[in-house]
Amino acid sequence: MKFRCERDVLVEALGTAGRATAGRGGALPVLGGIRLSMTGDGLEVTGTDLDLTISVQATVAGGTDGVVIAPGRLITDIVRALEPGAVSLEADDEELRIASGRSHFAVRTHPTGDFPRLPTPSGDVVTLPVDGLAESLRQVTRAASSEDSRPILTGVLLSAEDDGLRLVATDSYRLAVRDLRGAGVLAEGQKVLVPSRALNELQRLLGSADGEVALRLGTHDVTFSIGPVTLISRLIEGEFPNYRALIPANYPNRLIVGRDALLDAVRRVKLLARDATTPVRIALRPTGIELTVITTDWGTATEDVDAKYEGAEMTVAFNPNYLIEGVEAINGDEVALDTLDALKPATLRPTEGDEYLYLLMPVRVS
Amino acid sequence: MAEPDRSVQQNGGPMRLVIATCTVDYAGRLSAHLPLAKRLLMVKADGSVSVHSDGQAYKPLNWMSIPCELRAGPDQWVVTNPKGETLTISIEVVHLDIEHEMGDEPGLRKDGVEAHLQELLAARPEAIAAGLKLVRREYPTDIGPVDLLCRDAEGRAVAIEIKRRGEIDGVEQLVRYLERLDLDGRLRPVRGVFVAQVIKPQAQVLAAARGIGCVEVDYDELRGLDTGRLTLF
Repeated sequence: MKFRCERDVLVEALGTAGRATAGRGGALPVLGGIRLSMTGDGLEVTGTDLDLTISVQATVAGGTDGVVIAPGRLITDIVRALEPGAVSLEADDEELRIASGRSHFAVRTHPTGDFPRLPTPSGDVVTLPVDGLAESLRQVTRAASSEDSRPILTGVLLSAEDDGLRLVATDSYRLAVRDLRGAGVLAEGQKVLVPSRALNELQRLLGSADGEVALRLGTHDVTFSIGPVTLISRLIEGEFPNYRALIPANYPNRLIVGRDALLDAVRRVKLLARDATTPVRIALRPTGIELTVITTDWGTATEDVDAKYEGAEMTVAFNPNYLIEGVEAINGDEVALDTLDALKPATLRPTEGDEYLYLLMPVRVS
Repeated sequence: MAEPDRSVQQNGGPMRLVIATCTVDYAGRLSAHLPLAKRLLMVKADGSVSVHSDGQAYKPLNWMSIPCELRAGPDQWVVTNPKGETLTISIEVVHLDIEHEMGDEPGLRKDGVEAHLQELLAARPEAIAAGLKLVRREYPTDIGPVDLLCRDAEGRAVAIEIKRRGEIDGVEQLVRYLERLDLDGRLRPVRGVFVAQVIKPQAQVLAAARGIGCVEVDYDELRGLDTGRLTLF
């Protein structure tokens, strides 16, 4: 295998595919490798950890067909460190030689037969607008769990709704729901659970894309294609919690507050929080709200924020990070916080539109 | 001045505890002097001699490990070892002198929390990683038992070391177990996972460098206790 291309093109491809490789210390060292495959003038760069696979296509010059599996992190660091300009790569069964200007590297490679067989995209192709999907992922994936002990909660539920696609994620402390209206990508009643890690990578890829995303849903995996990049993720098998039953139909208390004013105030009083579990208390009053953080060893922070409140006066406390993430996810100048009482789930949502809601469990305080 | 004169050597006998006002002089690789004060002199069944002060659960002020010989006179004890080092204890007043048969030492046991963590995780290995199945608790190796031996979802062997607080020595302990377990063709290759309630950053770095996974677990949650955090479901 042999080819030549611009350093920046190769860095981009290696960096993107490398995000799917397994970290050091995995059971299969070859999963730390990146597969470079040349056919004609087409280079395909692929990384996988078996759960997530990312492939990038690039057009290169001076090609000789072939395949090589090289240590992903190492060759990415090497190519990134080279001077700008053309880079030549040539491989045989033993090593990959990388050359640019006066720099020459020879890197030992993995046997090509050790690399896992890559999943083949399956299912019918449907498309989604990049903007809407990227925004929905930004709002929802943050609520997914990062703890592998409950794998179902590490996924984002994609389910068919009457008027489009719904994305739902929860880590049992908060729940984010976003409707993407008009996106009829799933059959009626269909739902799948996609790992949030894969969707975070997709969101990253969408950040620099425009136009449409092609989606193919197979029996055990889902494929997203964005320009030259293909992302394939295994689906999570299992039953997602019945989230609909968690969302109260009506709330007696409603707070309307400026989004940025609330965010800034929470971030300030949070400086007194000793750890992520120190709650921020919100005293809800008709004249406005008072935020308080109390840490026994360090002291107290309070801040008043102008707001409109209708309902019973009370104090409700939240994990400040979860509150910040919920408010950040809402678009618009104002947010609405609906509450039942200090110990039941509260809902954050925009004051206009009903496409997004963020259900947040309070923290019990004395 | 009170007794005691129990002459030479205590090897194999009961533990002897003496509280005495004394000075202590050590001569060997260096010289050290403890001025006159009340101290606890401990002569263990194996013949080792140590001098303690009344402060902190810490190592002795001075000591002589076996092999050594104790010549205990009424006014002076002299402990010597084959290297020619000597510990001289000059006794002014003896306040207490007792002997007690200690019996066999069962060895260090894990504290209650650590042992309970092992028990809870043996019952729920999936709390460490999805798909883990327990093979055996206290799986023996020729340098001691590893806390849990499991198989992952792909059937690969996983050795798990459990601590209350995850520090570097725990990672090194697991590395040693992995070396021994990898010699067994039925298990090889064995992956290591270090589990603790809290794992120090240095231990996490070492574990990553050794290819060992780290998992922090919530003891209260494993026990099914209410942690004060309300959940949606």
